[in-house]
Amino acid sequence: MLKSKTFVKKTRSGGVMKVVREHYLRDDIWCGSEICTECKQDSTVLQRDACIESNLCTFPHYLVPDTNVVLHQIDVLEDPVICNVIILQTVLQEVRHRSAPVYKRLKDIIHEQGRHFYTFTNEHHRETFIEREPGESANDRNDRAIRVAVKWYSQHLKTDESGPDGVRVVLLTNDQGNKQKAEDNGLLVYRFEEYIKSLIANTELVDRLALSNEDKNEIASSKILFPEHLPLSKIQAGIKSGSFIQGTFRASRDNYLEATVFVQGEGEDSNEVLIQGLQNLNRAVHQDVVAVQLLPKNQWVAPSSVVLQDEGAAKDDDVDGDEEEKLLKQSLTKSTRKATGKVVGIIKRSWRPFCGMLNVSQIKESTRHLFTPADRRIPRIRIETRQASTLAGQRIMVAIDGWPKDSRYPNGHFVRSLGNAGEKDTEEEVLLLEHDVPHQAFSQAVLSFLPKMPWIITPEDMAQRQDLRHLTVCSVDPPGCTDIDDALHCRELENGNLEVGVHIADVSHFIRPGNALDKEAANRGTTVYLCGKRIDMVPELLSSNLCSLRSNVERFAFSCIWEMNHNAEILKTRFTKSVINSKASLTYAEAQMRIDDTNKNDDITKSLRGLNKLAKILKRKRIENGALTLSSLEVRFHIDSETHDPIDLQTKELKETNSMVEEFMLLANISVAQKIYDEFPECALLRKHPAPPPSNYDILMKAAKSKNVTIHVDSAKALADSLDGAKVDGFQYFNTLLRILATRCMMQAVYFCSGMDSDFHHYGLASPIYTHFTSPIRRYADIIVHRLLAVAIGADSTYPDLMDKHKQSALCNNLNYRHKMSQYAQRASVAFHTQLFFKTRGILNEEGFVLFVRKNAIIVLIPKFGLEGTVFFDSKDKASPKLVFDEEGPTLKVEQHTFNIFDKVKVTISLDDSNIQHQKIRMALIEPVIPGVSVPVPEAEPQAKKQKLDR
Amino acid sequence: MATAQVSEAEKVYILHGIRDDLRVDGRGCEDYRHMEVETDVVSNTDGSAKVTLGHTAVLVGVKAEIGKPRPMIPDEGYLEFFVDCSANATPEFEGRGGEELGTELSNTLYKVFNNQHSLDLRSLCISPGEHCWVLYVDVLLLQCDGNLYDAISVAIKAALFNTKIPKVHISSDDEGGKEIELSDDPYDCMRLDVENVPCMVTLCKIGHRHVVDVTLQEKACSVASLVISVTHKGVITCTRKVGRGSLDPESICEMTEAGKRVGKALHSPLMKLLQQEESLGKKRQKVGFLG
Repeated sequence: MLKSKTFVKKTRSGGVMKVVREHYLRDDIWCGSEICTECKQDSTVLQRDACIESNLCTFPHYLVPDTNVVLHQIDVLEDPVICNVIILQTVLQEVRHRSAPVYKRLKDIIHEQGRHFYTFTNEHHRETFIEREPGESANDRNDRAIRVAVKWYSQHLKTDESGPDGVRVVLLTNDQGNKQKAEDNGLLVYRFEEYIKSLIANTELVDRLALSNEDKNEIASSKILFPEHLPLSKIQAGIKSGSFIQGTFRASRDNYLEATVFVQGEGEDSNEVLIQGLQNLNRAVHQDVVAVQLLPKNQWVAPSSVVLQDEGAAKDDDVDGDEEEKLLKQSLTKSTRKATGKVVGIIKRSWRPFCGMLNVSQIKESTRHLFTPADRRIPRIRIETRQASTLAGQRIMVAIDGWPKDSRYPNGHFVRSLGNAGEKDTEEEVLLLEHDVPHQAFSQAVLSFLPKMPWIITPEDMAQRQDLRHLTVCSVDPPGCTDIDDALHCRELENGNLEVGVHIADVSHFIRPGNALDKEAANRGTTVYLCGKRIDMVPELLSSNLCSLRSNVERFAFSCIWEMNHNAEILKTRFTKSVINSKASLTYAEAQMRIDDTNKNDDITKSLRGLNKLAKILKRKRIENGALTLSSLEVRFHIDSETHDPIDLQTKELKETNSMVEEFMLLANISVAQKIYDEFPECALLRKHPAPPPSNYDILMKAAKSKNVTIHVDSAKALADSLDGAKVDGFQYFNTLLRILATRCMMQAVYFCSGMDSDFHHYGLASPIYTHFTSPIRRYADIIVHRLLAVAIGADSTYPDLMDKHKQSALCNNLNYRHKMSQYAQRASVAFHTQLFFKTRGILNEEGFVLFVRKNAIIVLIPKFGLEGTVFFDSKDKASPKLVFDEEGPTLKVEQHTFNIFDKVKVTISLDDSNIQHQKIRMALIEPVIPGVSVPVPEAEPQAKKQKLDR
Repeated sequence: MATAQVSEAEKVYILHGIRDDLRVDGRGCEDYRHMEVETDVVSNTDGSAKVTLGHTAVLVGVKAEIGKPRPMIPDEGYLEFFVDCSANATPEFEGRGGEELGTELSNTLYKVFNNQHSLDLRSLCISPGEHCWVLYVDVLLLQCDGNLYDAISVAIKAALFNTKIPKVHISSDDEGGKEIELSDDPYDCMRLDVENVPCMVTLCKIGHRHVVDVTLQEKACSVASLVISVTHKGVITCTRKVGRGSLDPESICEMTEAGKRVGKALHSPLMKLLQQEESLGKKRQKVGFLG
């Protein structure tokens, strides 16, 4: 049966368009229930004995939530207790329209087979489709559609032989009007809260309920604290006319009464607007997109340098933060005033569940508590829970439900507990959540696209690929590596030239564009390596088995094969999909040993020696071209195999073989970049590293000057040369320190789409073009590059998104974001493990170097641990010593002693765990001895023992 | 214009018949052929109607779009006409064959309908000088069997009656910027008052008499005809002479009087029919093009 749906919509140009869609109704949509005998369905989702222990519904029942219940209470619906739920198409569509994240979560639940969630396409069912009636709003129509569907279900299921004990259908809604109408229609209907509270076996679910509007009213006092937010239409009009500015709200880390709004301008022209005071911040939360109105110029203020944290017990709503605001005003100096504004409305909230800890209320019986998020930029959140005593001391997640204008704090609800604070697993989880690293197990939908095991190579596969199994290919990786992306070979050809091959795991063969697996990988963007843990981008079957180029198994590869002469000049380049059989998986050390061992003369060793020889030439050439060799200290933890606690840490050392592999990877990346750019100038995915602005080098030049060394920064080549020449007698570590400093001056390398940019240069590698091709198992960018290259050589077909530069550009943005976050997560993980390490060590004394000099502190690098820490010279409880800061040096004079960059110092290192959420490493000065500032040398050993006894 | 080949003998037969108030198909001189009207036949227009008159069939669609008012009359909306002489109607229209007729018809339609007297154009104004509704009236000739003007005018009146214009309101901010906002209820729409919309009556001079609603054969016997647009009150809003021959003042007077009479009689059953159809609402059995 055909119906047409008609609606009018506004076009972009301001016109009005009438749209007519055809809508087909069918009579072959089945109910999905096991007990139904009428529907001719192949498989059923809803169970016969659908029992959730509830004292409201003692009979088997199916649940039908309405849209608002799904939107607000998804945290509860995600709990495995809730099963046998009918999700109506009306609800699904509305959820999708209103909130993409909730929609995705709902879809994930529906895909989970154990949950028995059934999607009923009521909008296409002949008996449940309804048309909107005159005078009926869209919402009312949807509510009616839901009621009609529930009615249909209850009648449909009743007709079966099951009798009065049969399955009933329960509508869950929080809408009073809807509930009333449903009751009038004779439906079984409950408020969501009512139903959840009736689940006697699972009382903890009650805490996860989001506050509904009525509950919110109870909490808040009557006094209005914040100005009303403007409606969206007014905001849009205001932005159009220029009276408001749209920007991203960024709360200050140090001062809860201050924030900046970052306004994205045309091109480079971006600026910031300062927001100060609770009223002006007007309930905006970090990362929200807000509309700001600038204050008149005479009300502009300067950013305060005061550190303010919202601490202590919950403030009453009527006692405002007046005193603290006064504190702000004092720091006002006229010269440094900045554009200041106030938030008039929220365009888009970017609320996510936040990690943090509970501040248990002082009143014992109280169920309302404040929650302090780990991220200082997020305000404290008021939640309601009955399990405060168990949650105290745990890391928990809380979601914000809303922030009424008469409440000092936003209201939220408890989502889940992550575990005890300070425990390794808990902290790791917090770290991943706070860095927005997707780390859930792969969903069923994703896993369904994995190849079926046992996986075999078919003759068709062989026909499409070059057989390179006879070559002596081997891989060289760090120890313990299971996701082997790359393998190499080198052999002499009959004409005396050398053939070098780089073989990269053919991940794009397994991950086809557009399926759930591909989408998940694109979203994750990169594999995240934490200390002792890996968060895979693709499921383990691929990353550690089918794609990993392990030795002595046949694997698919994408090969880049060069013919070179003995001077490492490329004569021919060839790309092909292939099948290889790696002869050995070596570690860097093993490979090095083989090369050095003159007795060994097997094929693998010969191949390695050839590669090593060529790599040295390639490296020399690259450095002559002005590539930079920078340095940063990477730390490796020795992890106790049982407790998984770090027992020792050492900085990673680099062997010749490291650079050998690296050299060929660079070469492959450059060759591929050139090829895909030649083939697709508009949509090649490349990687660039912009040259830093000269001012970035100021600190490096000043630092070098203090040791009478001049650094030239006019070009990468000049910089590389002067870094090579920079040596100070008797100070071996100087060069490394300089390189560490130089690294800090650099810009971030980014992915981009060639059609959207004109500057391709890679500054650090001194290459005019570059991309990532060699690690498709752990980076999504490489998968796209593989696809582009496969299309370029005719080995695979293309698809529309691959050639759409705007889509690619959006993808690049996500990859850059994920990449950045994964690096932060990695750093945070190292920092956490360092803390764990020092926790058991007590207090240590170590030698270090001054890396930076600040106004009131020096930053010290301990080379032994690759650890950086700050030595403060002023503290809250002590009168600070006389400090003179000279920006030119930069030097800091503390009492009599002057600190320069690169000065050697001795410090004590200990763990400061006074704030359980923000543990940190504390350093204190021992040498040089400054009276009143430095601390005496502690007796490290006994201290440590005592610590151990305590635990 | 579509024509039919008629022999001398046939002409004489027709002429003599009309002289005796007896036409070939049995009608009197002031009788119309069987007429069928159906509205709301094209779902993606804002209003539409299909009219068949004997074998003549026309389809009219009205699309409402937001435009800028004419500078001279800033507080009125306006209508735009386009007549498509599809080659389906007659092979003569193939290629650009129907263009001339289409222009001629649409020029007449502008004169008859696009004025404040036939339609309240002020109601089409959204904000004076800035936005108004423009009604695009598209006429499609499906089949030609004479008397196009009358059929088209009835179809236009029916289509305008059927037209539902979405309600909009203007929101303005302090800066004077205006934004058009659309009601989200598809049933919330504006209807046009078509009471004063005239119908056109074509009178053909055949011999010494004149007839309405000529077939193609009858038309071949006539040298001149008069198109008169008449409102429901019998007011003549426009007259136009079509054809090569000449008309003497006396017969013009006679023909106008007859046109008035016929036109007035045409309106009330039409309005009754349209209202009846409307009142059926969704229960109405649609006939469409295949019925």
